[in-house]
Amino acid sequence: MAYFSRSLTVEEVMREEKAAVAGPVETTVRYKVVIKEINGWFGRKQALKNINLNIKDKSVTAFIGPSGCGKTTLIRCLNRMHEMTPCALVEGQVLVDGADIYDKSIDPVVVKRRVGMVFQKPNPFPTMSIADNVAAGLKLNGIKDKNLIAEVVEESLKGAALWDEVKTELDKPGMSLSGGQQQRLCIARALAMQPEVLLMDEPTSALDPLASSKIEELVRSLKEHVTIVIVTHNMQQAARVSDFTAFMYLGEMIEYGATSQIFKNPEKELTERYISGKFG
Amino acid sequence: MARLLDIGLDRIRNLIMDMATLSEESVNAALESYEKGVMLRPQIFEYSEKLRILQLEVADFATELIARYQPVARDLRFIQSCMDVAYGFSRFGRYAYDISDVLEAIGPIPDCDKSYVIEMANTAKNMIKLSVESLKKLDKDTSQKLYMMDDSVDALYRSYLRFVLTPRDREYAYAEVRCFISALLILRYLERIADHACYISDCVHYIVTADSSPRR
Repeated sequence: MAYFSRSLTVEEVMREEKAAVAGPVETTVRYKVVIKEINGWFGRKQALKNINLNIKDKSVTAFIGPSGCGKTTLIRCLNRMHEMTPCALVEGQVLVDGADIYDKSIDPVVVKRRVGMVFQKPNPFPTMSIADNVAAGLKLNGIKDKNLIAEVVEESLKGAALWDEVKTELDKPGMSLSGGQQQRLCIARALAMQPEVLLMDEPTSALDPLASSKIEELVRSLKEHVTIVIVTHNMQQAARVSDFTAFMYLGEMIEYGATSQIFKNPEKELTERYISGKFG
Repeated sequence: MARLLDIGLDRIRNLIMDMATLSEESVNAALESYEKGVMLRPQIFEYSEKLRILQLEVADFATELIARYQPVARDLRFIQSCMDVAYGFSRFGRYAYDISDVLEAIGPIPDCDKSYVIEMANTAKNMIKLSVESLKKLDKDTSQKLYMMDDSVDALYRSYLRFVLTPRDREYAYAEVRCFISALLILRYLERIADHACYISDCVHYIVTADSSPRR
């Protein structure tokens, strides 16, 4: 087409075609979360050793590594949950949109609102209905407008791909749902607070393959609006859902890069051995 | 403890090495047939068929390994490359059969000057040997040597083509035409064999480095 639309030299056309293949040049990468020299302890035991990592906005980043490597500890440092564990200590900075969440002026409750979390086991509030489970955070934050709450419940359940399955039974107990539905209910509960970052700690480890694949599809669609960090023991899951992968070992960040690069050609021998199942 | 995947990788490696041996034998038989005038077409056809079946077996098994174990990194590159290498070996078998086919069609050619073909045949056989060795040892550095040999094969082919196309002051005799046709066709097949030897070493380079185009 370019040959006919205007007068171009062959070199210019080749340059244009090359640029078209390469895609638009990304001039500035926006990092939603910047982890700076994070060290974490449980009592005397150091669980995280000088972790530095930049997490791109509206992307999925997977933390992988053998049990005890510090994945969960790190993810819990991203919304100040780690410090809630007795004897736990964190040093370093976690910047969300440039502001350090560990700054003394920052309210930890606000941090947890902006950085939501979904846990390994689905944990709906057992005495609450489906709708109340989703609305729990809003009510705790003093929102009483019933129309607004109903709207957020619907939007959050839609966001968690659960609305069509529960819209006629919103008053039923959250615990009446299947395991996979319960986990999506927990995701809806987190989404109701409109988090900017969503942390998921092995969100499918207690689910069957079908329920897991629904969560994975959900992760892919949620990243259009939210930055997601997921801890997983399932290599294939990390390969399927994430854009970036960080491999941790003995509390250290061994390698971080684009998921395609990590799984096709990791730079570090240790990463290669781990993802190939040669240890761990 | 060995991974379950390792058992599969060993099996596919053995299949590939069987193909390597068979493909070398088939090319050697075809070239012996040309050099010494012995007709080995049925035997070469059998080699070629075996190689074709083994190639399908490698592709099937590679697919199964990917489906069962979802290999990554070097394991994945190895399996993916096995499919390409198996194709390369099956092409060796096919070109060997094509050479024997030419000889069958042309008939005995004892008085032809065979020096061009023999020279290229020796290079091509060495290239096959080198590519198989590089695969056995996963030696990525063999590719550079093979590219140089491939350049010499290409040059030899072009040189023979120019020689045949050079205008003469007399008509060619029927016997000479048969010599030219057989040599040109066989040189062409050998040139393709040399290319595939390079592709095999490209695969080795890819397995080791993840760089798929060392020549670029």
